[in-house]
Amino acid sequence: MSKLNATDIQGFVLRGYNMPVARYLFLHFEDATRARSLVGRLLRKVTTGQRWDRGKPPNTLNIAFTHRGLVALDLPDAALLTFPVEFQQGMKKRAAILGDTGLNSPDHWDECWRTDQIHAWIGVNAQSPEALDVGCAEVMALLEETGGATAVASQDAAAVVIDGKPTTREHFGFTDGFGNPDYLGVERKSQPGQGKLMPDGSWAPLATGELLLGYADEAGELPVAPVPHLLASNGTFMVYRKLHQNLATFRAYLEEHSARYGGGKEKLAAKFIGRWRDGTPIELSPDRPDPSIAQDPSRSTNFTFGADPEGTRCPIGAHVRRVHPRDAFGFNSKLIDRRRITRRGLPYGPFAADGEAATDQEDRGVIFMALNANISRQFEFVQQQWIEYGNDAHLGNQKDMLMGNHGGRGRFVVQGDATTTNPPFLCGNLPNFVELRGGNYFFLPSITALGMIAMGLVDPR
Amino acid sequence: MPNKNGSVYGLTILSPIIDDESATPSHDLQIREYLAKLPTGEESPFALAPGTHLCRLVVMDDVIYVGAPACEEHLHSKYLVFESNCDDDLDSYLQGLAASVPERLDAIWSHCVGYPGASNPQAFIDYMKACQIETTFYFAAVNDRSVTETLSALQTQRAVADFIACHQTVKPEQLQKEFTEFMAVLKAASVPRPGGMAPRRDIKTGGRNE
Repeated sequence: MSKLNATDIQGFVLRGYNMPVARYLFLHFEDATRARSLVGRLLRKVTTGQRWDRGKPPNTLNIAFTHRGLVALDLPDAALLTFPVEFQQGMKKRAAILGDTGLNSPDHWDECWRTDQIHAWIGVNAQSPEALDVGCAEVMALLEETGGATAVASQDAAAVVIDGKPTTREHFGFTDGFGNPDYLGVERKSQPGQGKLMPDGSWAPLATGELLLGYADEAGELPVAPVPHLLASNGTFMVYRKLHQNLATFRAYLEEHSARYGGGKEKLAAKFIGRWRDGTPIELSPDRPDPSIAQDPSRSTNFTFGADPEGTRCPIGAHVRRVHPRDAFGFNSKLIDRRRITRRGLPYGPFAADGEAATDQEDRGVIFMALNANISRQFEFVQQQWIEYGNDAHLGNQKDMLMGNHGGRGRFVVQGDATTTNPPFLCGNLPNFVELRGGNYFFLPSITALGMIAMGLVDPR
Repeated sequence: MPNKNGSVYGLTILSPIIDDESATPSHDLQIREYLAKLPTGEESPFALAPGTHLCRLVVMDDVIYVGAPACEEHLHSKYLVFESNCDDDLDSYLQGLAASVPERLDAIWSHCVGYPGASNPQAFIDYMKACQIETTFYFAAVNDRSVTETLSALQTQRAVADFIACHQTVKPEQLQKEFTEFMAVLKAASVPRPGGMAPRRDIKTGGRNE
């Protein structure tokens, strides 16, 4: 396929901005006409996927809507009812399907997500806190000027800073953000291990329709999309989840269990995730972190699990193996290719380095944002089957060690061999290391579609 | 033999539902109402009777032709479809159903044409087999083991995992002693009842995604 029209696609979809700070503003529309005029004014500021030949801008701006937001913008009913059911319902109504129950149930979410008042997400990423304030002030000024919306909530997020430098670490201390797939037509520095596995062992980009509406997906079909085609094309769906991290619980659990584990604390931590804290895949380096692998794009994601069917190097239930099983299910990874998601997002809250005191109550975690053409087939499947269930991995009803909604009853098996430093080990009574604090499903339209929405020209006939 | 995969039997039975205009509500609606209220756990008739891995009862009203040009056609009758993955052999399975839950079977199949009742086991078996069609292809999510063997294996797996979880640091002599005791208890344990081991699940669609 030819190159995509990057000027029509929001930049947030095509690339991770790799900027250290961000603020997500959540809007509520009061009046459709004024809201559309706000969208029209914002449209001029929206960051597109166009290449940054003259360097990165100081800040970026992107926009997405909930289904209720599109209703509040007065889109025609005939267009509104063509959106996929899960998007129309929103994430809260999908709680049972997603396993968002108990500690993760909507009753425990932040106030702003317990109601249905959030109509739009505005994401501002910036190179510095000053540039972030400038970008957000521009949005707030437009809100005031047009009277189009009120900002009902906001969420700050920022890369964890270590030794004065922004990093890709998350609060548990692991290097994050390796696994985004490549897609046909999306210009990006690609690296082996990030697309789909071919029969000859090489990696190729996924079909564009796994990310963007209006293009063929891995089944050669157009993803389910709203009408008119122009409203959907070059747009995508975004899953927003605020994931609180119980840092004290994680540390205490690792400390307590590693005391009984022959491989030591850091190895057990690596077994949980499938990567050492510096990002080295344990499949490639089972005994120690190896910066020469972690920092080499041709190696850091370039591995498969086929030679490790028993999980003696990377446990079968390790987080990265569960959420991206690569070749682990056989069939040349065909069972995996339609379950891939693109992750954006950043940590939030204060970072506590190893050795610094931390509690579970401190407000810290990660803002998880996933982009996919089909929420139900991609994100929801991964969440339901690979995070909150284990059958595909032959792990019965065990859940993902890191993300699972265990409620204190979870179990994780570290497969091992006969050596003293890699013994089999069983972790029981898993608590929730991560808790859901809210979120929703958003539609991220193309630039053309934003214009149609702003001008009230969405015509489904 | 297409009805069998290893020791597991794939049973498909289509029983025509009585078409009686004077019945109120109609027989198919009466079956639907009864099925909707059947318990699904340990009290399910198919958990009380031996030999069922997995089964499903469906009222099939009609089969609709989908295509162009449109074509209106109908089945000769409404059918009750009974699909079951059960332990071989078929005669003893049906015999077990008739012996364990005859009232339940009668409440369902008495709405079907020619049903003789479960009180005469041979007549019941003959009727069911007369309604049987070849399954040809089915998914048996069981490891070629009987229901009893599967339930025991799951119980053992769970118990051993629990044992390991709380004995990882125990000294060898103590471990051996406790393991011997554990094995004695496990061997004496009775086979768990079908339908009782699964955790309560809110989703009844069993993994279907919407």
